Amino acid sequence: MTLSYVPGDSLAHRLDPRSKLLVQVGFAAAAYAYTTPRGLAALTLLAVGWLRLAGGGARDVWSYRFALPVLALAPLVAGATLGAPWFRPERAATTGLASYRVLLVLVVGAGYARSTPVRESRAALQRAVPGRAGQFLGVGVALVFRFLPLLKRDLLTARAAVRARGGGSLPVRDRMRLVAVAGVNRAFERADRLGTALNARCFAWNPTLPRLAFGRADAVALGAGVGLLGAAAVGAF
Amino acid sequence: MIDVDGVTCRYGDGTGDGAGVAAVDDVSLAVPDGEFLIVAGANGSGKTTLVRTFNGLATPDSGAVAVNGTPVEDDLVAARTAVGMVFQDPRDQLVAATVGADVAFGPENLGLARDEIDRRVAAALDAVNMAGREDERIASLSGGERERVAIAGALAMEPDHLVLDEPFTGLDEPARRSVVDRLRALHREGASVVVVTHDLRDVLGLADRVVGLADGRVAVDAPPEAAVEALPELDVRVPERGRGGDAVDP
Repeated sequence: MTLSYVPGDSLAHRLDPRSKLLVQVGFAAAAYAYTTPRGLAALTLLAVGWLRLAGGGARDVWSYRFALPVLALAPLVAGATLGAPWFRPERAATTGLASYRVLLVLVVGAGYARSTPVRESRAALQRAVPGRAGQFLGVGVALVFRFLPLLKRDLLTARAAVRARGGGSLPVRDRMRLVAVAGVNRAFERADRLGTALNARCFAWNPTLPRLAFGRADAVALGAGVGLLGAAAVGAF
Repeated sequence: MIDVDGVTCRYGDGTGDGAGVAAVDDVSLAVPDGEFLIVAGANGSGKTTLVRTFNGLATPDSGAVAVNGTPVEDDLVAARTAVGMVFQDPRDQLVAATVGADVAFGPENLGLARDEIDRRVAAALDAVNMAGREDERIASLSGGERERVAIAGALAMEPDHLVLDEPFTGLDEPARRSVVDRLRALHREGASVVVVTHDLRDVLGLADRVVGLADGRVAVDAPPEAAVEALPELDVRVPERGRGGDAVDP
């Protein structure tokens, strides 16, 4: 499954993307202010609750599986030493909490991505950041969200093609090389085709953006976002 | 009206003589409003390159293309609005996660009012028999449905000419029928349609005229009844006589 927008009628789907962005920013700030296991436990409940509000679940977290090995290995690398005692558990624990923090932020991000159409994200960014900078940011976000699922599909296709011709028995390094080379080639081709498609459909820096409007539920979300930012400020000082 | 005047498009650096390989070689062509035109030819005959000059996606090395009297390079947005393009693989064309967002993408880029965009999206989806499916995920659609969404995306620009590049590639029989039915309906409503293909079995009966390309040059330019005799020599597949259904008669 590719992490992308999933149409739905969940509470998160009905929220204005600006409210959701504020919740995300507040959550990230709180995650970096409260690094104790107790604080992270509370944030875990918030993150899972947020993902559920967006209609998401374990499958959305699984879509981050490519990042999970890095997050899991980081504490081991941080705890390792070049001499005796060879491993410092306290360092590993600190880094482990940091890795977990990142995972929580990704979970909240998954809730946002599955409940927010790309063009609404673009509209929210362009309204939050006026002028050329906002346009640039909005276009960047729109292109990344459009391009990444296509790129991921191409990589999976390349991997399937390698396996289909007996490549599954090759050493991991060779398989990675084959998929990486095919992936890079396809990425360039894909970028070229996407550029042509955008040109054919008159891609503009200043298109008509979707209507955005705050509703009643947004008051709660905005309150939560401000509350998280406030809590982060209290925790930081 | 699309006017193609002496267009040549070259690829490569032409290591031998510095000129490159001519994908399209001195082609002149006029596509009147309301015409159903088939551009036929074998793979590599220059079909796709030729139609991409219609809206500036390919730039001629020599010659000129004008749409409704305006040179394409003078106003690319006008050309791309007047000539709606549906690519060979609709996955290359669909840029949004949901049907409605994708069909709205073009009109949004034109800066139209939201109400007008909503009207166009509804009308375009209705035209391809997909009304009310705005919220469906593109990824969950079948090949034929994606093709129809791609056509809707082009129609939402309200083009004067609709150009479809190999629209039947990879589609099964029901999906091909569905697309043919939509093209027939659009043409009856007055739309100008250009279909690029190397297999005329599905669309020959709809055509007003067939242009056959070989090695980048116009080898045939005739009504379907006359063109059908010459097209097999260009490695173009034509309907078998007596099969009915897809035969030449409209």
